[in-house]
Amino acid sequence: MKKRDLELLSSYLDGQLAPSDSARLEARLSSDPELRAVLDDLRGARSLLRGLPLRKAPRNFTLTPKMVGKNPPLPRTYPAFRFVTALATLLLFFTVGLNFLAPQLTSQAPMYGMGGGGAEVESFAAEAPAAAATEAPATEAPAEEPSVQMAPLPTESLLPAGDTAREGEAPAQKDGLGEGSAQDEIGLKSEPPLLVPPTWQVMLAGVALFSLIVMLLMRQLAVNRWRRK
Amino acid sequence: MNELALISDAQQGDLDAFNTLILHYQDSVFNTALRILGDDDLAADATQEAFVSAFKSISSFRGGSFKAWLMRTVTNACYDELRRQKRRPTTQLEPDTEDGEEMDSPRWLADPSLSPEQELEADELEHALQHCLNNLPLEFKTVVVMADIQGMDYSEVAVAVHVPLGTIKSRLARARLRLRECLQGFAELLPASFRLEEGSSA
Repeated sequence: MKKRDLELLSSYLDGQLAPSDSARLEARLSSDPELRAVLDDLRGARSLLRGLPLRKAPRNFTLTPKMVGKNPPLPRTYPAFRFVTALATLLLFFTVGLNFLAPQLTSQAPMYGMGGGGAEVESFAAEAPAAAATEAPATEAPAEEPSVQMAPLPTESLLPAGDTAREGEAPAQKDGLGEGSAQDEIGLKSEPPLLVPPTWQVMLAGVALFSLIVMLLMRQLAVNRWRRK
Repeated sequence: MNELALISDAQQGDLDAFNTLILHYQDSVFNTALRILGDDDLAADATQEAFVSAFKSISSFRGGSFKAWLMRTVTNACYDELRRQKRRPTTQLEPDTEDGEEMDSPRWLADPSLSPEQELEADELEHALQHCLNNLPLEFKTVVVMADIQGMDYSEVAVAVHVPLGTIKSRLARARLRLRECLQGFAELLPASFRLEEGSSA
């Protein structure tokens, strides 16, 4: 039996042949007993298979949410709270970062302005010993060697005399670091304010925490309800 | 049952809708698995696995015959089950007789619960048919189960098995012929009209 004939017979049995092919095969079948026998064999096998009883499923195969790893249905407002939590957290980190970087950024900008000021302070500090020297002799210290330790004394002694203009000069003379200490003082006086007020940060943290708690509660309630189903 | 609406709902994640579809198709799916695997427990496992897999991938269903799509899923589950069985064989492949000699006939492979003598004496046609189905190559068995037991048409079978229509025709014809040859060994069980004259199809 040719493979092609076998396929033709099987398809003929199922009515899957084109009318022309079917007519040609019927003509052959009428004159070929072997072909007819094979057709009967195929028909017999097909009838037996079709006659097999359909067994009832031994149980129901319906699925539970757990079986398919399905998440519990969350309330519709859940995504909104998730968005608020994410946004508030992001903003909080942003403001913290901004406040942290702000002094560094602002301290760089005044540096250029303070360059002139620094020079002034330098000359100012340089004048200080001279000024001290002119006024100090009234008390004691030798003019040719204005001691760092000795210098403040005359200044102090002059202060009560009402020379308030000399008040700013005292620290420069005190530690002998005219430039540095002057800068520190200026820095302290002009410390840049925080860009974002701390109260805002507290509010953002509160919002993030609140919506996070609401989210967790929503999820827990949904899971509990889902498990009870 | 509005199948299309249920499928659409299931694609949106509605498990209840999918369970309605399961209740409608579970007998067909279970029978397909049973005839391919030849074992009730394995068939039940494969059926469950097929439905889980079907739900998870139902978004990939793009219309056409839902039954054919389901049959494809269960066929894959059966193939997986057979692969697992192959990796963990529970029966020795070459059994010995009581005298310690190797058996001549491989017919025990079809049903390990019966000896060849018992098989020949089996009075259940269903059992004989299952035995013959078990002896078919897997790809022939799948096609003949879908076409002749499930009554699916050629195009549905082609979708389910994912092979061309011509291959389906060829496999079906050869499977039917092999089954008929196998059933000759159970002539006494067959209805008189189906009994063959010896060598009629040789």
